[in-house]
Amino acid sequence: MSWGLTRKREASLEPARSAVRRPRLPVMPLLLGGVMTLFLLLPILVVLGRGLSADFLSTLLSPVVMDALRVSLWTTLTTLGLTVLFVTPVAYLLARFDFPGKAVLDTLLDLPIVLPPVVAGVGLLLTFGRNGLLGPPLELAGISLAFSPAAVVLAQLFTSAPFYLRTAKAGFMAVDREVEQAARTDGADGLRVFRFITWPLAFPFLLEGLVLTWARALGEFGATILFAGSLQGRTRTITLAIYSALESDLAPALVLSAVMVLLAFAVLLFVRGLAMRRRPGL
Amino acid sequence: MTRTLLFTALLLTTGSASAANLTVFAAASLTDAFTELGKAFDAKTGNKTAFQFAGSQALRTQLENGARADVYASANTAQYTPLVDQNLVAPGQAFVSNKLTVIAPRNNPRVTRLPDLAVPGVKLVIADKNVPVGDYTRRMLTAIDKSGTYGKDFSARVLKNVVSEEPNVRQVALKVQLGEADAAVVYVTDVTPALKPSVRVIALPTRFNQSARYPIGVLKGSANPEAAQAFVQYVLSPGGQQILKKWGFQAPR
Repeated sequence: MSWGLTRKREASLEPARSAVRRPRLPVMPLLLGGVMTLFLLLPILVVLGRGLSADFLSTLLSPVVMDALRVSLWTTLTTLGLTVLFVTPVAYLLARFDFPGKAVLDTLLDLPIVLPPVVAGVGLLLTFGRNGLLGPPLELAGISLAFSPAAVVLAQLFTSAPFYLRTAKAGFMAVDREVEQAARTDGADGLRVFRFITWPLAFPFLLEGLVLTWARALGEFGATILFAGSLQGRTRTITLAIYSALESDLAPALVLSAVMVLLAFAVLLFVRGLAMRRRPGL
Repeated sequence: MTRTLLFTALLLTTGSASAANLTVFAAASLTDAFTELGKAFDAKTGNKTAFQFAGSQALRTQLENGARADVYASANTAQYTPLVDQNLVAPGQAFVSNKLTVIAPRNNPRVTRLPDLAVPGVKLVIADKNVPVGDYTRRMLTAIDKSGTYGKDFSARVLKNVVSEEPNVRQVALKVQLGEADAAVVYVTDVTPALKPSVRVIALPTRFNQSARYPIGVLKGSANPEAAQAFVQYVLSPGGQQILKKWGFQAPR
């Protein structure tokens, strides 16, 4: 708006020169950019519009939807717990210690991020399935993963934990070593240094990693449907329920899709907020 | 450049009347039979037939939401008739029928007879209730209940053992092929030469079995209604029926 006004005024004062100096409205980029923006946002708006209709609440409270939300909530929370427990040490070791082959390992651990989820499912099946590599020993130990919520968790852990690993590693690397050293000089042991210095200082990174991991785990589909199957109230997560409902009663699929859009939006806001706090001024 | 593009576009839109590109939406159980049948049809007519195989309920949803195809072949009337009512497809012609069977992994002895399906702890995989084979499976269980042979609560006990409800019959069969499930209910035609080495077949008594009727028809939105009709005719012809029979399908009843 203001741009247009300035241009008009200047044009009346110095018609010939301003025409040369002023940048022209970039029509082509504007047009292409507009098309792309619409392309990215329109489907999301349509999902929201269709999902948040009059019978949103009654559909939300239906068993199909509630079961899916419950399964997703419990499996993703378990995934997050396991991620913190097992991935934090990996991130810490990679950030703090050098060893032969570290660069290779570091790269390899990012593989699940770029791997198609369905390939992850095949891998899990061939490893932990009944006829898989670890199937017979697991069976001997009385552990049966096939079609269990544990299989859902494994699929989520495999595909999403690397997101936490990446940010946690960056977090540990950003912690000032001198602060840790000072605490150690004051007599704190390794665990206490980690608990009271390293962990709190790296926490915003860890939190961002956890939120990204959670979002990825919540959206997991390919590996889950292949490795864990799909049964309402047991292994049918939100995404699996959407897929299943699409083929019969559209309403639960729309409501769950709208819920996912809202959750995704919240995740983005949260991560954005964290980043702003970490780097004030940006 | 522009001229080349224009020329290509012209070629694509006009084509020749004799060689049409056909898209056939077909139930997942028809995968092997229709793939072979399509090749024979193309060789005979010069058409190019492409298939999309999926659970009939998924195909129906896609067609209801505007998917472009020329022919639709469903594994039951429940996923076909609604499209007729919406004037999306011509009334269906029954072209084959099919039967159910129970399969189990060859190296897994947990399920050897029909009543084993109700033994607590058995991992049974069936199709979702909207999938035709999932619907037939539940009807079969109800028929067993009514007969009283294995007790009136047989289906309730069997359904308690279901560990996964899959989106199409091929996914159901896959779970047994991989050895993940102890048993599954599929069509007899799903026990293909590729599957046979890894599974055992537990036959269902005729009095419990269901007769799956498959309707086929030309879609109203078809860009090549004549070629589409020719495909349907070929499916119903002795040559087409011969191929379907080879893959275990029975003549329509």
